[in-house]
Amino acid sequence: MKKIALLLSTGILLSFALTVQANDVSKGIHVGNAGSFTGDAAAPCMEIFNSAQLAVDEWNARGGIQGITIEHIMGDDALDPAQGIKVARKFTSDELMYGVIGPPVSHIAQASIKIYGQSDLACITTAASKPDLTEAGYKHFFRVNARNDAHGWNSALFIKNNLKAEKVAILNEKVAYCENMAQQTIKGLEKLGVTDIMNETIVAGSKDFSAVLTKVKAFNPDVLFFIATAAPDQAIGVKQAKELGIEAIFMGSEGGRDKKDFIEASEGAAQGAYVYHFSPDIFAIKEAEAYVKNFEAKYGSLSGFGPPAYEAMNILLSAIDMAAEDGDISRAEVISSLAAIKGYKGILGFPISFDEKGDLLGGATYFFKVNGTDFEQVTVLTGK
Amino acid sequence: MSEHLFRSFMRMEDLFAQLSQQAINGLTIGGVYALIAIGYTMVYGVLSMLNFAHGELYMVGGFIGWWVLQLFTVKHVPVMNGALLISLMLVIAMGGAAILGVVIERIAYRPLRTAPRMNLLLSSLGVSIFIQNFVLYFQGAKVKVFHVSQLIPDGLRSFEIGGVVVSFMRIVVIFVCFLLMLLLTLTIKKTAIGRSIRATAQDIEAAAFMGIDTNRVIVSVFVIGSALGGAAGLLVSLLFTQVDYYVGLQAGLKGFTAAVLGGIGSIPGAMAGGILLGLSEALAVTFFPSAYKDVVAFVILIAILIFRPQGLWGEKLREKV
Repeated sequence: MKKIALLLSTGILLSFALTVQANDVSKGIHVGNAGSFTGDAAAPCMEIFNSAQLAVDEWNARGGIQGITIEHIMGDDALDPAQGIKVARKFTSDELMYGVIGPPVSHIAQASIKIYGQSDLACITTAASKPDLTEAGYKHFFRVNARNDAHGWNSALFIKNNLKAEKVAILNEKVAYCENMAQQTIKGLEKLGVTDIMNETIVAGSKDFSAVLTKVKAFNPDVLFFIATAAPDQAIGVKQAKELGIEAIFMGSEGGRDKKDFIEASEGAAQGAYVYHFSPDIFAIKEAEAYVKNFEAKYGSLSGFGPPAYEAMNILLSAIDMAAEDGDISRAEVISSLAAIKGYKGILGFPISFDEKGDLLGGATYFFKVNGTDFEQVTVLTGK
Repeated sequence: MSEHLFRSFMRMEDLFAQLSQQAINGLTIGGVYALIAIGYTMVYGVLSMLNFAHGELYMVGGFIGWWVLQLFTVKHVPVMNGALLISLMLVIAMGGAAILGVVIERIAYRPLRTAPRMNLLLSSLGVSIFIQNFVLYFQGAKVKVFHVSQLIPDGLRSFEIGGVVVSFMRIVVIFVCFLLMLLLTLTIKKTAIGRSIRATAQDIEAAAFMGIDTNRVIVSVFVIGSALGGAAGLLVSLLFTQVDYYVGLQAGLKGFTAAVLGGIGSIPGAMAGGILLGLSEALAVTFFPSAYKDVVAFVILIAILIFRPQGLWGEKLREKV
């Protein structure tokens, strides 16, 4: 009996120690980066990692946090939720880890969010947009990108008002982000009086969408909204649509904003196509000039995925810096300093604050058109 | 569902155009399934084993084709005649896949020839995982894009007949698939090696007693099956213009399904099974939400196997695992 009591009390003490876990800052500071660094989303995810690295390097060049060099650790989930869970376990078991950038893909974030939450490890996603992620009451999950409900409503507005469509075909890949984005857009379109909508699904990586596109052709829509995670699938989509003689305006989703894997891979078929994206044309923002210059000098060309990651890492490090001011730091402190951030002005061209759910206040959606070998920002919509 | 049907049936001529288009779509992908299925079925015929590494030969065929294309194009413009380059890609992809098939047989299957069939099956799974990761390591996970639009003269890229669009590449794929199937049928029916293959498939021990070098037969089965798998991989890559290390899994599964559908062990069965699977997938999308594409295909498979467990063309007598 005594033994059991002893065991129990040590157990309770241990779990108590694990949850509080205030560390001396001088032991070291780790930040994680969870993403799909191999697989079809490797290009945007590497851009996220490299941009975050740039922010870490700048902090370290300024002397790190309390004189301690920050270590930036990569966790690759290969676009597989099961691997995403492993990454979360790896990060949460690293006791010097105080915050994570990512995961950027909604269904992977969904699979691992609870594990991060159980260990109070702050996450800032830079791209995951499924609304549910911040609706479950978690305190540790933040995002610097707008949610699908904002993007869906804005896309509906764009399709109705800018593209003047009355008949819309939507194809979505059967994963959390795509399915939800399709639902949100349909909800928006119906509210705007567009009810002639076809909603069909595709399978990522199957490389042959001609059967479902033949069905789209018979439906004869004004706009074909192709919602897929990665750019290569959207390149095949626009190519096969053109090949079948579908005259509808092609609109891709955020993953399509990729010069190489969408525009170039489509061999000209993407000309005149649109994509929406959660981040603005960074080249037009004055505050971002230095970032763009440094990124391109070190890592080559930049698309839309890098800037929010640079911003997110700077916000995370500011929060860690605040939490570490008194010489010791805990994960819970990092979360409360993140929640306290108001009107952070970085490179994205708008001030960043989080609401009580961890969502970005005032989400905007940016629309781009393919012109030649590049994207041209057409407009930005904020729900009006 | 009912809305889908209603919409499809609203105008008959539209429906006809759509069905013809789906028939073309289905025939192309079905021809490719057939080529993959032949590899499964031939190996099963002589060794009674399921060669799960077969899908990877398809993937390797695509990669080899991509490298040949890179080698003979400058800024996406080919340095030689387009038809010649496509033939060259095909020949090298088939040759490369055939060599790989023989190497796999030598290293992973021959030492297990007398072992229980389950060991061979596991060995083939191991080979499959190895090849996938080998390609992942050396080629990376990103898709390789085939820039093929310059291979085809401007006016020939696609044809439209009565609302049905057929691209040049689809014609190439259908033509090559059927040509290869015809050549295979002639080889099996008319040549000495074809006779040996048939004899070995019927009874490997009796064939050996009759003086047939069964080892040679097995090697030639791997050469033919792998070459056709490689050809399928190349043709699909030309058509859909992308290949990555992961494509072998899905293609292998579809090829295997087609082989079972036609009756595993039967070459004409594999051909028919592939085309039937491709057509039913494409037509299923016309009448059902596309999410059910694979469901419909597999329901057909299950239904056929309930009424004909040996598959459409299979023989009933065999007892193999």
